Amino acid sequence: MDAAQEPRAVGEERRRRLPGTHGPRRRRPSGEPPPLPRELGRTGRFWLIMVAYFMSVLVGALLFPTFGDLFEHFDNRRLAWIAELRTPRLTDAMELVNALALSWTIRVLRWGTIAVLIFFRRWRHLVVFLGAIILTEVVAYDLSILMRRPRAYDVTILADWQGFSMPSRPMAGLAVTLIGMAYCLVVPGRQRFRVKGVIAALLILLACARIYLAVDHPTDAGFGAIFGIAVGLVAFRWFAPADVFPVSYGRGKAAHLDVGGRRGEAIVGAVGRQLDLEVLDLKPVGLEGSGGSTPLRLRVAGRDGQPEHYVFAKLYAQSHVRADRWYKLGRTILYGALEDEARFTSVRRFVEYEDYTLRLLVDLDLPSPEPYGVVEITPEREYMIVMEFFEGAVEISEAEVDDAVIDQGLLLIQRMWDEGLAHRDIKPANLMVRDGQLKLIDVFFVQVRPSPWRQAVDLANMMLVLALRTDADRVYERAKAFFTEDELAEAFAAARGVASPTQLRTSLKRDGRDLLARFRELAPDREPVAIQRWSIRRVLLTASVAFGLFLAISLVIENWTVFA
Amino acid sequence: MRRWLVGIATAGLLMAACSVSTVRSEEATCDAPNGAYPVLVAQAVPSAVLLPCIRVYPAGWSYGGSEVRSARSRFWLNSDRAGIHAVEVDLTHRCDVAGLDDVTSASGELDVRVYLRSITLSPFEADRIFVFPGGCVTYRYRFGDAQEGPNLAAEADDALTFVPRSLLVDLVDDELGMTLCGAEAPPCVGED
Repeated sequence: MDAAQEPRAVGEERRRRLPGTHGPRRRRPSGEPPPLPRELGRTGRFWLIMVAYFMSVLVGALLFPTFGDLFEHFDNRRLAWIAELRTPRLTDAMELVNALALSWTIRVLRWGTIAVLIFFRRWRHLVVFLGAIILTEVVAYDLSILMRRPRAYDVTILADWQGFSMPSRPMAGLAVTLIGMAYCLVVPGRQRFRVKGVIAALLILLACARIYLAVDHPTDAGFGAIFGIAVGLVAFRWFAPADVFPVSYGRGKAAHLDVGGRRGEAIVGAVGRQLDLEVLDLKPVGLEGSGGSTPLRLRVAGRDGQPEHYVFAKLYAQSHVRADRWYKLGRTILYGALEDEARFTSVRRFVEYEDYTLRLLVDLDLPSPEPYGVVEITPEREYMIVMEFFEGAVEISEAEVDDAVIDQGLLLIQRMWDEGLAHRDIKPANLMVRDGQLKLIDVFFVQVRPSPWRQAVDLANMMLVLALRTDADRVYERAKAFFTEDELAEAFAAARGVASPTQLRTSLKRDGRDLLARFRELAPDREPVAIQRWSIRRVLLTASVAFGLFLAISLVIENWTVFA
Repeated sequence: MRRWLVGIATAGLLMAACSVSTVRSEEATCDAPNGAYPVLVAQAVPSAVLLPCIRVYPAGWSYGGSEVRSARSRFWLNSDRAGIHAVEVDLTHRCDVAGLDDVTSASGELDVRVYLRSITLSPFEADRIFVFPGGCVTYRYRFGDAQEGPNLAAEADDALTFVPRSLLVDLVDDELGMTLCGAEAPPCVGED
């Protein structure tokens, strides 16, 4: 009886909870949108349907010439009818409006937008803007060559034109530029809505002017505008959605995602539903030391009489996976098979790997944060890993480092060696001290069964970090209790240049003492370990990248006149 | 969905990039006057009673490309000996022929006067200008350091000729029942 009632009670409990409310963990049922869905929106779908409709009409006109002739007659009759209304004053006004379609007008708008995007380092917006323009211009041009529709018959054309008429390339070019500007430069909301209204009015006015001047047929102008709008709208909604790539006028790091607005709400809801933690507040932290993710500190409500406390979270998006790939590719080209790194194929794999390394270190009783779980924000696009936050801990560069802390650092490396691990990112920002206890954070780069070179570098980096707060002689003296002199010599023979993280190299430079040289003096002589590794893979990879760059530059040059 | 969109966008870009320089070699030939290209040329310079076209491709010559815009239409030919863009044929409303040598032959077409702009032999550069009612066509020979410049120019001359605009006006009228506005056509709506 009890056994039969229990599942029913659980079911009722689940039904009582509403999405977005705090409560026990809750599975997302099939069909329910994720916390931050990725959508084209109703208008995006509408414009795509319009493009599909026009495309089908064009294909029909190509396949069945009689159908094309029908359009020709329809369009030319409308043009003739409108031309009957021409007056000198109205013609002057329409010629003025038609200046909107001048290549110089469009050029100024485009270059102005590009300049703003470069100034504010909004690279994603820039790439999408350029991509949308190139796609629109080139497809519109090729479509005009395919359709080969002459200019208007029966009516005298009163404005300048270039090439075949279907679709209207100036209309398409201006439409994609204006829509791109609205999505790149205007903050979403009422302001952007109004701007879109102005764009619509301008495009309608321009279409009327071009039809009046008989430079475009009505269908040319209509299709040109629809095509330009659709490409711009879909490109920005899909490849640079405002939730993920907000329109901001700060000059922050590109790797960090905006955690306000809809994403912020999604994070709060997702952490509540998926980890059963009630988030009271979230705040980005340590952005300057992190380029591979967006680190967050979440303030969460206490449970069972416990006070509220903090948890640490790292938000990963596809841009981080791409950045990781480029980073590894760059290192492979520059240094060869330095670390034999394989790239991650998705954000899911990214976050799963960090979750694994956290659990591994906790299992081994190493002083690293306890993982609380992975939170799905947008499937396959954004995930967040939540872990313990070392409240009250300070970065080692600001902490008091005594012999006990030095020993803990050295023991940490020794333990990792014993367990067949390497941290691979030992630097001041990843070593925290709380109540005299050393903590190791950011374990994403941890590698199981790494190369001996990598382990040796970990030791050298740890000793350098410890020496920054003390001195090399003292650290070396303590290290002799944990490692043999040969191992210490190997560590400093391996730690050369890029082997140390950028933050550590900067700190060493700022410190002024040549700690690395001092360690090498203290350790027995040993030939430096070469960093450069040549392989067929490296040669092929370098050649492929060079060829890709050549192709990309050629493509830009080839299409320059179409674009600019 | 996203992969589809990325795929379509990439395919579109690649297709576009590959085909942006695609030209139709038959578009400017005289035996295809009912195509859209000659009509567009006639619309570019509506006053011209003659339109340039390619009669035949001599051995080693090929079509290079074209650009048609209001008030100007041009196409160019490539040669295996004289290089790319060896001859450009440019149709405009009018040309400045002041001070040029009139080389019109007695047996030439009625109402067409021919002028020659200075010739340099190395590199071979010359302009031949045909002036007729409502228009003007310039042949620009640019053969670089190719040998036998005059012979190449003669080959190019053999390749090129004119088609009367009235032929196109009649064709548009017959096939579409519409008027190709301009010379040799009835008045159009909105004409001054």
